[in-house]
Amino acid sequence: MRSVYRVLAYLVALEVVIQAAAVAFAVSGLTNWIENGGVLDAAVMQSETIAFNGVIGFIVHGLNGQIIVPLIALLLLISSFFAKIPGGVLWAGLVFLTVVVQVFLGMFAGGIPELGILHGIGALALFAFAVVAARRAEAATSGLEPRASRGTADVA
Amino acid sequence: MAVPTGAATAPSPRPPRKRGGRRRTLLPVVAALAVLGPLGWMWQASLLPDSYSVMDMGYRDEGRNQGSGAVPAQGHEGHHGPAARSVATLTEPSTAPADVRVDLTARKEPFRLASGQMVEGYTLNGSSPGPVITAEQGQLVEVRLVNESVPDGVTLHWHGVDVPNAVDGVAGVTQDAVPVGGEHVYRFRADQRGSYWYHSHQVSHEQVQRGLLGALVVTPPGGLPGTTVDELALVHIYDGVRTVNGRPGETRVDAAPGTRVRVRVVNTDNGPMPVWVSGAAFRVVAVDGTDVREPGEVRDLSVEVTGGARADLEVEVPAGQAARVELGGAALLLGQGDPPRSVRPTGKLDMLTYGTPAALGFDPSAADRSFEYVIGRAPGFLDGWPGLWWTVNGHMYPDVPMFVVADGDVVRMRVENRSGESHPMHLHGHHAVVLARDGVPATGSPWWVDSLEVGDGESYDIAFVADNPGIWMDHCHNLPHAAEGLVAHLMYEGVTVPYRVGGVNEPE
Repeated sequence: MRSVYRVLAYLVALEVVIQAAAVAFAVSGLTNWIENGGVLDAAVMQSETIAFNGVIGFIVHGLNGQIIVPLIALLLLISSFFAKIPGGVLWAGLVFLTVVVQVFLGMFAGGIPELGILHGIGALALFAFAVVAARRAEAATSGLEPRASRGTADVA
Repeated sequence: MAVPTGAATAPSPRPPRKRGGRRRTLLPVVAALAVLGPLGWMWQASLLPDSYSVMDMGYRDEGRNQGSGAVPAQGHEGHHGPAARSVATLTEPSTAPADVRVDLTARKEPFRLASGQMVEGYTLNGSSPGPVITAEQGQLVEVRLVNESVPDGVTLHWHGVDVPNAVDGVAGVTQDAVPVGGEHVYRFRADQRGSYWYHSHQVSHEQVQRGLLGALVVTPPGGLPGTTVDELALVHIYDGVRTVNGRPGETRVDAAPGTRVRVRVVNTDNGPMPVWVSGAAFRVVAVDGTDVREPGEVRDLSVEVTGGARADLEVEVPAGQAARVELGGAALLLGQGDPPRSVRPTGKLDMLTYGTPAALGFDPSAADRSFEYVIGRAPGFLDGWPGLWWTVNGHMYPDVPMFVVADGDVVRMRVENRSGESHPMHLHGHHAVVLARDGVPATGSPWWVDSLEVGDGESYDIAFVADNPGIWMDHCHNLPHAAEGLVAHLMYEGVTVPYRVGGVNEPE
């Protein structure tokens, strides 16, 4: 279960990286589209049909952020109950809580743009929490293994 | 926790721990259940039945006194037994032959925009947008809809026309969706002049976007007075390309300088579109099919036309350069020459103060019913799908209010948006007048709407007379939002619905 915990925690961290890359790709694509004559207003945005190089970034960011990341965070929290890692539940709980906050910040940043600032900062916090959680799992695992078998530490 | 015991002791730690062992294995299970249990229960509770009547949905809100009118909706259909009327009987009373007769055939087929771009979608009589239906005020209109090949079925809703309930065209509420090979006849009298549109109200978030729509124009008897040129600007986005009457880019209208052109802007998309005019002043002469009283000249302002709404602009073609009606990237050029484009003016025309006041024809302060329609957003499940979903008065679909009125009631409604996004709210079968926005009373020409943009954080007080019996949707016309549950209904006492949502009928 410790491996499950560790893998899920690293997955959350990886997802943060994907989220950042996806949204940056999308914003660059949108800028490029507007520079080349595209006109964006609320009706175009909400038609959800605009096609530009990078639009996939918005789709990935939305789908990941609203469904996949919360799901991974939830599984991480549940695995933490079984993994018996010192501080494991705490860090998984922090990850889950941060994900919930991030979802809300993301959804409401359209109305209050300043929330976007917090959303960006929250992403880095989430990345840090996820990595700490994963490292805790590694520490707990290697702590139980004799030094000689360091190379197989993750077979717990 | 790190115990440097070494390999030799590895098998032995278990026996001494046996006492706490049960608790140790039980605790994580309990914790997991504590997290998953409520989620599972909420998930289960959110699942919609295979089919249901909108009358059994949510709770009844009588609107008599705030808050206490909420009663579960279950089985309230027969409560007002003596006057029970089925939606199907609420039809146009005249059996005279129609003045305007149109056959519309719906197909699933690719079609080509004027730019050459192909669109995978749906057509009416082989094109999208479908044919413009024109009638003179007072004429009887009869439209026969044939579904040749739209697999999900189709309907036609007459957006903005206060038609009899039986022909409102909402699948599962006022009719069953027309299956492939089937047909349906819509009959109504065009007694309100103005600019309207029609569209499918079956799987509408997909069918409207992909082409099942067209314009309906009702002119005064004999057409527009004088020499005014009547011009339609039906705006629709196909695959991200904004078109006017099906054409991307610029469309030229030949008109001599000095001619007045009435541009009927119809926004068939999901969000608000700013409209402005480069090179000439203009007047907004009608909104949502109601003339504005004494509209003043507008310069350096844009007009917001929200999803589903219409605004009729009157522009006098200037001498020399043409005027350019800016429609979010597409444009209508009135006259000769190439006028310069202009950026969107920062100011927005406020309909709350535009034009001069007139009698409403009823007294909103003597309301028989007052309702609240508070739009919010909350985490939860919608038919099993997790997400942040829209709420109406704090309840998530299908647990939404059923606003109940009686014939002749004066109804007030406060529409408030706390959801973080804006919503074009559309009430079927009625026009409501805006009394106030954010508590500031309206002082301009009576602002009658059927599609009202309610921005995040805004609240509108509106009023209308319940003079068109039936069961009417009152929903967000950002159609994906409606599919996400931003839908409530207005119901007249004693009206019954023989149709069901689910199965073949999926109105949103």
